[in-house]
Amino acid sequence: MTWLARLPVFVLLLGAVGAAMMLPAIHAAYVDDAAVARAFFYSGIVVLLAVGLIAIVTSNRPALVTQHGQLLVLVGAYAILPPVMALPVIEAAPVPFGTVWFDMVSAFTTTGAAVFDSPGALPPSVHLWRGMAGWIGGAFILVAALAVLAPMNLGGAEVLSGRAPGQGRAAGRTGADDPQTRIRRQAAAVLPAYAGLTAVLWVILMLTGDAPMPAFVHAMSTLSTSGILPAEEGFRPAGNIWGEAAILVFLCLAFSRRFLPGLPPLDRQAPIWRDSEVKLGVLLSVTVALVLFLRHWLAASETGVTEDLAQTLRALWSSLFAAVSFLSTTGFLSEGWQGAGEWSGLSTPGFFLLGLAMIGGGVATAAGGVKLLRVYALFRHAERELERTIHPSSVGGRGEGARRLRGEGARLAFMFFLIFALAIGATMALLTMGGMDFEPAMVLAIAAISSTGSLSEVGGAVPLAWADLGIWERVVTGVAMVVGRVEILAVLALTAPDGWRR
Amino acid sequence: MKVIICGAGQVGWQIARHLAGEKNDVTIIDLNADLVRRATDALDVQGVVGFASYPDVLERAGARDADMIIAATHSDEVNMVACHVAHSIFGITRKIARLRASSYLSAVSAELYRRDHLPIDVVISPEREVAEAALQRLAAPSTFDTESFMGGGAQLLGIALDADCPVLNTPLRQLNDLFEGLRAIVVGVRRDERLFAPHPGDQLFADDQIYVMSHSEDVARTLEIFGKRSKKQERIVIIGAGNVGLAVARALEARTDRVRAKLIERDKATAEAAADALSRTIVLNGDGMDMEILAEASIDRADAVLAVTDDDKTNLLAAVRAKQAGAAMAIALVNDPTLAPLMGPLDIDAYINPRATTVSSILRHIRHGRVRAVYSIGDNEAELIEAQVLSTSPIAGKPVREIAFPEGVLLGAVMKGTSVLKPSGDMRIDTGDVIALFTLRGDVPEVERLLQVSIDFF
Repeated sequence: MTWLARLPVFVLLLGAVGAAMMLPAIHAAYVDDAAVARAFFYSGIVVLLAVGLIAIVTSNRPALVTQHGQLLVLVGAYAILPPVMALPVIEAAPVPFGTVWFDMVSAFTTTGAAVFDSPGALPPSVHLWRGMAGWIGGAFILVAALAVLAPMNLGGAEVLSGRAPGQGRAAGRTGADDPQTRIRRQAAAVLPAYAGLTAVLWVILMLTGDAPMPAFVHAMSTLSTSGILPAEEGFRPAGNIWGEAAILVFLCLAFSRRFLPGLPPLDRQAPIWRDSEVKLGVLLSVTVALVLFLRHWLAASETGVTEDLAQTLRALWSSLFAAVSFLSTTGFLSEGWQGAGEWSGLSTPGFFLLGLAMIGGGVATAAGGVKLLRVYALFRHAERELERTIHPSSVGGRGEGARRLRGEGARLAFMFFLIFALAIGATMALLTMGGMDFEPAMVLAIAAISSTGSLSEVGGAVPLAWADLGIWERVVTGVAMVVGRVEILAVLALTAPDGWRR
Repeated sequence: MKVIICGAGQVGWQIARHLAGEKNDVTIIDLNADLVRRATDALDVQGVVGFASYPDVLERAGARDADMIIAATHSDEVNMVACHVAHSIFGITRKIARLRASSYLSAVSAELYRRDHLPIDVVISPEREVAEAALQRLAAPSTFDTESFMGGGAQLLGIALDADCPVLNTPLRQLNDLFEGLRAIVVGVRRDERLFAPHPGDQLFADDQIYVMSHSEDVARTLEIFGKRSKKQERIVIIGAGNVGLAVARALEARTDRVRAKLIERDKATAEAAADALSRTIVLNGDGMDMEILAEASIDRADAVLAVTDDDKTNLLAAVRAKQAGAAMAIALVNDPTLAPLMGPLDIDAYINPRATTVSSILRHIRHGRVRAVYSIGDNEAELIEAQVLSTSPIAGKPVREIAFPEGVLLGAVMKGTSVLKPSGDMRIDTGDVIALFTLRGDVPEVERLLQVSIDFF
């Protein structure tokens, strides 16, 4: 196994994708769909063969050890893996490459944009594969966030450390593990838990009455916050509230990195009820859920249908579920969501969901968006500034870490916020250049950058379909998804230090 | 008794002075040869120059046959190790250490350092005691000095009399008749820089400073009788976030009534550490002498200002400045007792002398016997001694009027069981009663004879 460990990360990643193709192949064989099974099996063999050749070539060559190189691998993975993942789908179903590529980009970036016209026409094994692509994307970012981004002060670590992003912390210091080792250690820590929790949710969903295949895809979509749905009829885990409740609990894992192992122990020191991200996440979801519910309730009370207690409770539940689901940038909408709209006669309040998705989940989780920690830092900074208007020379308390978070951390968070807004603006500009209207462009840009695919349906006044997009819009939103996923700062850091210092 | 004192700083010096004055064999150890020479010149003590926790230094100081070691150097660790060495190598029976780090102190109170773990019998913490003194001052805002006795049942109040005090020019014995049931007694009067124990026929005049022993329930009434109003304090400004300031702010935060405290500290790092340790108190970073900072702390509406930096002059000036800016009351921490007479001209309402506070707490432990508390008044001019009456004492079983107290001694309060009483001529002092005696400095040995402390004194 030591030769395996010596291989470059990228080769291992490609090998994992090839091996993962065997699962849909087995599934297709099981449901007696020989053509689809062959498509997945042969694609897997081709990928593994190619990986084997590259492995032989590179095994004796020292791996790319610089942090900068690892960052390159991280961004490069988003360029190379989606086409590879698209291979079996093109073989298995009659869809053009562009569509499949876009679908795989959206899956691997855990966005989950539903791009197929008629998902029901696709074989179930393809849906399984889409879910797996999202799951692999979630696992990839979970490992990369702590093993590649955090040591370079990226991906939220800059808010905690207060140092300039993109600059390595232990790079070159003797005794620090090289990046390759760190990635392996991180993967060994986080992946078993990630896979185990997925399995647990799968079992729970099956117990609540979901069929095995949809339950598996739902579980993977929940853990990776991709929000990929197993079939055309939308989100319907077992069609009852218990499935939704289980998913709601697992969605909360995206509020903080502390729920999965592999953290530096210092980050886990505070008890969970004092964890800033958990607090903010719960506060935001509950507040938005209440606002959404009250809005429906007030409208419904005018028409006098509030006597129906079951309907009222269902509206409350669907509001809470939507809030958590969009805050974690997953984008599931519970069954009662449409019902709540019909109940009150009000349209879906897309702006709340847009805002929640932009805020996003915790740093170093599978969620996208600005991230709770940055919002928390900005909030603390604002609170402190208010204090300072009353007592200009007052000194803030709560410890060294909190002080750094409010000061340098908030500055960096604000910088990130600006870049995030600029990226949305740039994406919108590119989309409108292709002839799109302002509002759809905004909704799609936010959906892509915050990696919440289903925002397209509920974000704007009228539902938008990813399937209607032309090739220009797909390229733009596809790139936006990657940029949003690895965080713009990382992309900037990749080009900056060497290129700009000259 | 042979006593070794480690550290010839302010605390060590003051204890040495006390103990040497009571005919003890005192040896003082300090690293600074100058200090040791000054101590041996000025006081009747031996001196050893060296590092206080080194066994050979302690041996030179006569640790082999010493009865007690008092480790009062600036370093907690040196004090602890000195006690350890004294315990393990020399077998000294009584060990007192001064500790200031709150981490050690809370560990001590959590009984982590039990006697068999760390050989320290008594821990004294000057900063904590000073903070307590400051809080007592705040609790009785119109007094210049205060200390509680008899487990909180009685309170000693130092009151400066103004011209509008209603009981001026009245013989003290008439106060009893005028104010029925008042459980308070004037135990000491300072007039023209001279402190004396008043006779029943003496009268009080304006500008007198008097010490009154009052039942703790009658404090407000006592203050009113002597022309002082007690007012609830809500806005308090503390200047200096050192150990003392921080401890006071912490205690204020722990109080149930909402006190709005503001803490001013010049050093940024200290201010940040204080802000971390406190939650409700507003910590301001700036010079306590800076008018802008004082205005930011809304000094003009402050009920009390506490200047507790480590520099006497800063404290005095900050207190004056705050007073001039409109603060209702100013209290200053003053290390140098010779500065005490300046308080009047500077219009500073009260001062805290950390040495007096620390020394009295150490003395309390030294004279352990049946002496339960000793509070040193003024510049060590007098003491208030709280003691339990032993059966061997000549005063046990006698009515108060038959006890031959010396001229400078006055009985302030008697505690029988748990009730604190005002002494009267007919009252019989029984074995087991606790009495509080105001004693001029010169009469302390005689009082100790009366109390028969020496019998079970070690």
